[in-house]
Amino acid sequence: MRKIVYILFFMVAAVNAQTKMSIAESATLKAKVKAHAASVNTLLSDFTQYKHLDFLANDIETSGKLAFKSPNTVKWEYTRPFIYSVLFKNEKLFINDEGKKSNVDIGSNKMFKQLNSLIINSIKGDMFDDNEFDIVYFKKETNSEVHFSPKEDKFSKYIKTFHIIFNNEGHVVELKMIEPSDDYTRIVFSNRTINIALSDAIFTE
Amino acid sequence: MRYLLSSLCLLFVACGSYSKKQNLQIEKASTRSIQNLYFSDTSKDYVYKANIAIYDNDFSGIFIVKKIGEANHRIVFTTEMGNKIFDFSFINDTFKVNFILEDMDKAILINILKHDFKALIQEEIPVVTSYSLQDTLVYETTILNKKHFYFKTQQLDKIIRVGNGKEKVTFLFSEINDTIANQIRILHSNIKLNINLKSICMSVNNHNP
Repeated sequence: MRKIVYILFFMVAAVNAQTKMSIAESATLKAKVKAHAASVNTLLSDFTQYKHLDFLANDIETSGKLAFKSPNTVKWEYTRPFIYSVLFKNEKLFINDEGKKSNVDIGSNKMFKQLNSLIINSIKGDMFDDNEFDIVYFKKETNSEVHFSPKEDKFSKYIKTFHIIFNNEGHVVELKMIEPSDDYTRIVFSNRTINIALSDAIFTE
Repeated sequence: MRYLLSSLCLLFVACGSYSKKQNLQIEKASTRSIQNLYFSDTSKDYVYKANIAIYDNDFSGIFIVKKIGEANHRIVFTTEMGNKIFDFSFINDTFKVNFILEDMDKAILINILKHDFKALIQEEIPVVTSYSLQDTLVYETTILNKKHFYFKTQQLDKIIRVGNGKEKVTFLFSEINDTIANQIRILHSNIKLNINLKSICMSVNNHNP
């Protein structure tokens, strides 16, 4: 019996490894992330994406490179296990699917516009909009984890919550998008470089 | 009068059965059922890079098939970035839409996909008549009340859904390795809908976090 109590105690302790931040702590984090996000003119990072579907034996792992140029040009390029890229540029979405090119005019499409700004904000980590999201802050060892739950039904139908993990410097190291079904997409960033000159060639459609 | 005769003739040919038109020879030794093993292993995650062209819309993404248990398959299509486009369950004879993107939530389209995917994953299919065509064995079957012909050489290469004696949908399986079809194409001849699937080799040391 005593053993069970110990086990339960340790389980509770383990769950509590992620603790809620105080108001002061969350304000500090927010200020740090916002200051960092504002200073980013260019960003280059590798990423690995894990698509988790509850019924699969393994997550579907894809990886590639992400490039961002202020104010709103972004390229997601998958290189493994297939070649595929999406480029948001000048209110257009350019797709290159293993050499097959197409584009979508997003100027008139509210959903794509939202998606574009969401991607940019999530890369930088600056999603602290209390009108759009219910926001909860956690401490996780040396990192911070913030949960953003969309308030709008139209949005929360697709993504229930975004979890963003920030390192000590306020950089995004991981982004997790959880669907209402609890399946999720987890993106882990690595080899991140900020404000180096990026050639225009990266952003040619 | 001659015109009438030839049109009647043409009409007759046009309405002839698919097996006659294709010169299929009836096999005496009949087979009771045929197997499609391409999605039959519960331990495998079947993951494909997919292109689905519906009328003038092209959707590309990741197409996932999982056999969850006996006569229980899940089929999910997501974008490359992981957003679900549709999520279907086939359990015995029931079909369930777990999720579908609002823009695609049309009964006609869902019904077409249901018929296509049912034929794609159905493992054991009772044979109505067996035929042969040179080196190919051809089996006439019925899936969801529609006539399907299965073409088998060394392995299952092709399924054709037939309506009014005409080919309506062709399923092509190629680059077959063991019981995995690395390339699958589903081509509709009466509507603008084509599905192209290319198997993605997932790394073995892929862990769940």
